[in-house]
Amino acid sequence: MAYLFLPLVSPLVLLVAAFYAARHPGRRPGLVPKLTEAAAFAAFATTVVVATLLEVKGPGTSALIGLFGVGLSVRLDAVSAVMLVLVSFIGWIVLRYSKTYMDGEARQGAFTSWMSATLAAVLFLVMSGNLLQLFVAWTLTSLSLNRLLLFYPERATAQRAAHKKAIVARLSEGALAGAVILLIAETGTTDIETILASVEANWLTMAAALLIAMSAALASAQFPVHGWLTEVMEAPTPVSALLHAGVINAGGFLLIRFADVMLLAPGVMALLVMLGGFTALFGGLVMLTQPAVKTSLAWSTIAQMAFMVMQCGLALFPLALLHIVAHSLYKAHAFLSSGEAVRNVAAIRRPGPIAVPSARNVLQAFAAAIVIYGLVGIILGFDEKSIQAIALGVILIFGVAYLLAQGFADAAPRELMQRTAIYALVTSVSYFALQVVALSLTDGSLPPTPAPGPLEWALIILALVSFGCVAVAQATFPLWASHPAAAGLRVHLTNGLYANAIFDKLLDGWSRRPAA
Amino acid sequence: MFAKLESYPAALLELVAEANNAARAIPPLFPLSANVAVNPFLGQAGEPLAVTAARLARVGGVRITPSRAHWARKLDAGEIAETDLLDALSAIDGRFTAPSLQDIKAALEDEAAAPNAIPTVAELAADVSGIDWPALIEDRIGAWAAGHFDQGQALWQQVNTGGAFNAWRDFASRDLTPEIQGLKGFCSFVSKTNRSHWRAIGRASEKLGVTTGAAPTAFHRWLMTLGGWAQYGRYLLWQAELDGEQESTVTELLAVRMVFDQALFNLYEDQISARWSEAVAAHQTPVTPTGDIVIDAVLQDAAERAEQRVLADRLLRATPRTVRGRPDVQAVFCIDVRSEVFRRALESQDENIETIGFAGFFGLASAHKAAGSDVIERRGPVLLNPGVTTQAAEPEKTNLDRRYAARAKRAWGRFKLAAVSSFAFVEATGPLYAGKLVRDALGLGGVAKVDPAPQLDQKIDLQTRVGMANSVLTAMSLTDNFARIVMLTGHGADVVNNPHESALHCGACGGYTGDVNARLLAGLLNDPEVQLGLRKEGTEIPADTVFLPAMHHTTTDSVTLYEYDLPQGDSTAGLAQLKEWLATAGKLARAERAKRLPRATGAGTIQQRARDWAETRPEWGLAGCRAFVAAPRYRTGGANLSGQAFLHNYDWKRDEGFGVLELIMTAPVVVASWISLQYYGSTVAPALFGGGNKLLHNVVGGIGVLEGNNGAPRPGLPWQSVHDGNGLQHDPLRLSVIIEAPREAMSEILARHPGIRELFDNGWLHLIAMDDKGALAWRYSGDLKWTPFRGQPDVACAIAAE
Repeated sequence: MAYLFLPLVSPLVLLVAAFYAARHPGRRPGLVPKLTEAAAFAAFATTVVVATLLEVKGPGTSALIGLFGVGLSVRLDAVSAVMLVLVSFIGWIVLRYSKTYMDGEARQGAFTSWMSATLAAVLFLVMSGNLLQLFVAWTLTSLSLNRLLLFYPERATAQRAAHKKAIVARLSEGALAGAVILLIAETGTTDIETILASVEANWLTMAAALLIAMSAALASAQFPVHGWLTEVMEAPTPVSALLHAGVINAGGFLLIRFADVMLLAPGVMALLVMLGGFTALFGGLVMLTQPAVKTSLAWSTIAQMAFMVMQCGLALFPLALLHIVAHSLYKAHAFLSSGEAVRNVAAIRRPGPIAVPSARNVLQAFAAAIVIYGLVGIILGFDEKSIQAIALGVILIFGVAYLLAQGFADAAPRELMQRTAIYALVTSVSYFALQVVALSLTDGSLPPTPAPGPLEWALIILALVSFGCVAVAQATFPLWASHPAAAGLRVHLTNGLYANAIFDKLLDGWSRRPAA
Repeated sequence: MFAKLESYPAALLELVAEANNAARAIPPLFPLSANVAVNPFLGQAGEPLAVTAARLARVGGVRITPSRAHWARKLDAGEIAETDLLDALSAIDGRFTAPSLQDIKAALEDEAAAPNAIPTVAELAADVSGIDWPALIEDRIGAWAAGHFDQGQALWQQVNTGGAFNAWRDFASRDLTPEIQGLKGFCSFVSKTNRSHWRAIGRASEKLGVTTGAAPTAFHRWLMTLGGWAQYGRYLLWQAELDGEQESTVTELLAVRMVFDQALFNLYEDQISARWSEAVAAHQTPVTPTGDIVIDAVLQDAAERAEQRVLADRLLRATPRTVRGRPDVQAVFCIDVRSEVFRRALESQDENIETIGFAGFFGLASAHKAAGSDVIERRGPVLLNPGVTTQAAEPEKTNLDRRYAARAKRAWGRFKLAAVSSFAFVEATGPLYAGKLVRDALGLGGVAKVDPAPQLDQKIDLQTRVGMANSVLTAMSLTDNFARIVMLTGHGADVVNNPHESALHCGACGGYTGDVNARLLAGLLNDPEVQLGLRKEGTEIPADTVFLPAMHHTTTDSVTLYEYDLPQGDSTAGLAQLKEWLATAGKLARAERAKRLPRATGAGTIQQRARDWAETRPEWGLAGCRAFVAAPRYRTGGANLSGQAFLHNYDWKRDEGFGVLELIMTAPVVVASWISLQYYGSTVAPALFGGGNKLLHNVVGGIGVLEGNNGAPRPGLPWQSVHDGNGLQHDPLRLSVIIEAPREAMSEILARHPGIRELFDNGWLHLIAMDDKGALAWRYSGDLKWTPFRGQPDVACAIAAE
C-alpha cells in the first residue's frame, strides 16, 4: 500500500521550493523562478502517476503518519485524484506564467514562495485522509492566500478586499472546526473513510452537515458574502488565476468529500439548492452588466461556484466534480489571457450589427433545443439518469437555446443559422458525453443520487422555472433592456444589490486610514 | 449649442468659457484598440516647463521633473558638465528669478518636497469625517463611467442617450452606495440637479464660491481627479473637432464631479467652509513657479544640452556612408527609432543598400476597412483627417464567409457570457481549455493570417493618384536614381495578451500596424498608368523597378515581404539576395537589442517573447528616444545612434519653396514630440501620466486599463514599458530636433504655424540647425532667434587641429 503515500510527494516538493524561494525574496532571485516551475511540474507529473496507480490498484487510505489520529494520511479515490491532477496542473501553468510575468518585481522571490506554499496547502487539503489534516490545510490555504492578496500592501483597495476575505475565511474555518468536532464526537475517529462509511442520521450528523454547508458556502463566495471575490484584482493576475481555478474550489470539494454526510441531512441539501440557485442567477445577471474584464470574470466565478453548490444540493456530486474541473480550466485560461480583452472587444464590432432574435425566434429556439435534448437523451439513454440530472440537463439546454436563438433571428443569414445549430448540437453532445465520463469515473467513490421526495420535487420545479425565466430574458434581451425600468434594475445589479457596500459599511471599509 | 447658451446669464457664460478651456488643459486618451502616444502637456504647450510644473503641482500634486538624486548622479558621472548648467542658466526665461550655480548645487543635496495639490471639497470632507470620500467618488464615477463608455465588454449595455451628464444623473439618482456610506440624500440631490450640465456647473460654482478667477485651476483640479475618464472625453472632443463637430463630454464629467463636491459641501459646510475658502483663494492666485521648480527646469534643460553635445560629437566622428551609382535596394523605413537599429544592420550587409527614413503611413492617411469588417480604422497620424478610403479587396464569397465565421464566433462569445448559458458553456467545453492552457503556456499559438492587399477607393481617378504618388515621392526626396527593388517597409509589433499592443505599433499609422499603408503605396507606385503619369510630371521610374511592400516586425526584427502583391509577370531578380540580407540584418538587430532586454540571453530568445502570453516586456518600443534628425542619410549613416533617434530623409537643396520642410516640421516632428513627451510624462510622473502596473491591469470597456478593480483608466505607458525592474529604460529628455536646412526657412515656417512655434519657444522641443558640413551649428533660442551651437569643447579643438 506504499503507493498511497506517493501523493504526498507533490506538496512536499512545492514546500521545498517555497522554502528555497523564501530565502531569496527579492528582485530577480536567480534560479528561484525556474526551480519553482520545475517543482510544480514535478508535482503535476506525480499526480498523474498517482491517478494511474489509482486506476490499476484501486482506492484506499494510507496509514497515518502521526499519533492518535493527528498527522498526515492520504485518502486516494476518484475525488482526490481528480482534484490533485487538476490543482497541480493549474499550479504548474500559473507558476510557469509567474516566472516571466513577475520578472523585475521587487518581491518576486517572496511572491513565488507564497504561490508555492498556497498550492501545497491546497494539495494537502484535497488528499486529506483525516479531519485534522483537512482542517489545518484548509486554514493554511486561506492564510497563505492572504499574503498573496496583500502582495501590494500599500493599496487601500487590496486591504479592504483582504480584510473582508479574512473575516469570511475565519467564519468558514469556525464552521469547519465545529463540523470536525461533531464528526469526531459522533464517530470517535478522525479517519475520513471510516467516518463516511459509518456515519448515521441523527441530530449530530445533521448539525455537522449544516456546518459543512456553511463552511463551504462561505468559502465559495456565495451571496451575501461574495464581495471580496470581486475585488481581489488588486493582486497580480497569476494570483487571480490560482484563486479562481485552484483555491475557490475548496468549498465544493468539501461538499463532495462529505457527500455521504450531506445526504443524511435533506434539509441542509435543500438550503444549498436555494442558496446556490439564487446566487447562480444573481451572479450571472450581475456579470452581464460588468464592463471590466477581470471583474466580469470574478462575477462569473461566483455564479459558477453557485451552480456547483446547487448541483451538490441536488445530490449530483459527480456532476459537481465535473463542473469544478471544467470551470477551473476555463477560468484559469480566461484570467491569464485577460489581456486579450482589447482585441476581443474590438473584434465584436467588425462583422457588422448583431441580428436580434424576435420573441417568435426565441420560442423556436427553445423548441429546437428541447428537441435536441430529447434526441441526445434517447441516444445516450434517459433511463439510468436521476430526475435531478434530467432537470439539470433541461437548465443547460435552456442555455443552448440562446445560441440557437441568435442564429434563428430573422436578420441572420442562413449560413449563420447553420453554424449556430452545429455549435448547439456539438455542445449538447459534448455536455452529455462528459456527464457519462464523470459518472463512470466516480462510480463507487460517490454515493448515487437518491430519488427525489416532495421537497426535492418542489425545488426542482422552482429551479426550472427560475432558470427558464432568466433564460428567456437573456435571449429576448435586446427587446427589453432599454426600457427605463430595466435601466433602474441594471443600476442595482451593477452594484451587486449592495450586499458588498453594506459589508463595507459594517467594517468601515471606506474609512481613511492614517497615512502609514 | 451657442443658441442655447444665449439665455445664460453673463457670469455663467464666463464659467462656461473657463470650463471649455479647462477641458483643453487635459490630454486626450486614445482607446487601446488604436492607441497613439499623446503629449500629456498638450494643454500646456503655450507655457514653459517651469510654469507647467507649478500648475500640475497645484492641480495634480505631482512633480514633472526627475528626482534630484537622478541629476546628482548625472553630474557625478560627468554626463552633465558645469558648462551645460551655465548654458542652461543663461538661457533661462526672463520672467523667472535665475538661481545661481551654487543654489543649484546646494539643491542637489536633498530632494525637493513633494508638492501638495490644492484640496478638493471631498478631501476636506475626508479630513473631518474620516471617510475616504475622494476614493469613494472615484469608485462611484468609475462604476458609472465604465458602463457608459463600454465598447462591448458587458453584454447588457447601459443606456446612454442624452449625453454623459444625463446618463450619470439616471445612474446616480438610483445608486444607493453613496447613501449607504453616509452621503445622506444623495439620490434625491442628484435628481434635483439641473438637466443642463452648464447650469449644474453654474449652481455648484455658486454654492462653492468658485469665481471666474478661481475657475481655471479649480476646474482643472477636478478634471485631474477624474483621471482617464476625463481624458477619454478629451479624445472624443479631439475626434469631434477633426470632424468639425461639437462635443461636451469633458465638461459634462466636470459637472458630475462638481455635483459630488457640492453635495459634500452641503453635508460638512460648518466644518470645512473656512478651509475651502482658503482653497478657492489659492486657486485665484496666478500660477508661478517656486525657486525649487525653476532649479528643476534648469537641470532638465542642462541635461538635454549635454545630450545634444554627445550627439553632435557622434555625428561628427562618424564616417559618412554613401552609395555610389544605382543602389541594388532602396529600403524605406518608418522614422520610428526602432528602425534605426535595423537600418544600420541592413546597411552593413552591402554597400549597395540604401535606406531611407519616412513617416510610416507613407503619406497615405487612410480610412481603412479590414477584410470582413465594417469598422473604419483611421490609419494615419491622429493630427490629420484620413485623405483616402481603402479596403482589403477580396471576392464577395470569401468576404461573406469571413463574416459568417466572425458572426458565429461572436454568437458563441455571447453564449459564453450570458446568464444561464454560461453554465452550459462551462460544462460542455471547459475541459477543452486544458489544451488551450498548454498551448499558450508553451507559446504554441499560431500566427495571424495576412489580410488581402488593400485597395484604394475605385472612385479616385488617375490624375489624383498620380498627384498622390508624386507628392509622396517628393516628400521622400526620392525622385530619381531608383533601385531595382524599392522596399516600402511599414512596421508593427508581434505581441500576445498585451492590452497595450497598439502602443507598440506605428504611431504615424494611428496605432495600427504599418503594413496596410506600405502595401497601398506600393500598389499605387507599381501601377503602370500611374508611372506613365509620373513620367509626364518629370519623375522617371525605370521599367525594372518594383516597389515591394514589406513589414518590419519590431518585436522579432524579422521582415515580411508581400511579394504576392506584386503585379503578375514582374521578375523577382534580387529578391533571394534581399531575403538573405534581411535575415542576417535581423540577427544583428536582435543581438543588439537583446543586450537591453531583461532575460534575453541572446538573439535566439527574442522571438519567443513575441509569443509569450506572460511577457510584460516583449520589446522596449520607443523607450530611449531623444532626437529627431531630418537630413540626408549620409549625415547619420556612419553613426551608431542606439535606436534613440527618429531619422527622416530630407534634402533641402531639392526642396523648392520648402514645402517638404513645412510638412516635416508640422507633421512628423509633432508626432515625434507626442511620443517623446509621452515617454517623458510616463517616466517622471507615473502616478498621473503613466499606465500603472501591468500586473494589475484590468481592461475596462475595451478602451483602457484599470489598475486593480476600480477607478479610472490609466493613460500613458505602463511602468514596465519604461523601467526594467532595476532602472529606467527611458531617460526623460525632451526631444532635440535637428534639421539640415537654412535657418531662415525654418523661422518662416515657425512664424506661419504658431501652434508649432510655441512647442519650440517653450522648450518642449529643441530645434538645432545642421550646417552643410553636417555639424550642429545653430540653436533655436525662441522668438524666431538663433544662437550658435556650443559643441563639445575638446572635439572642436581636435577638429581644428586636424
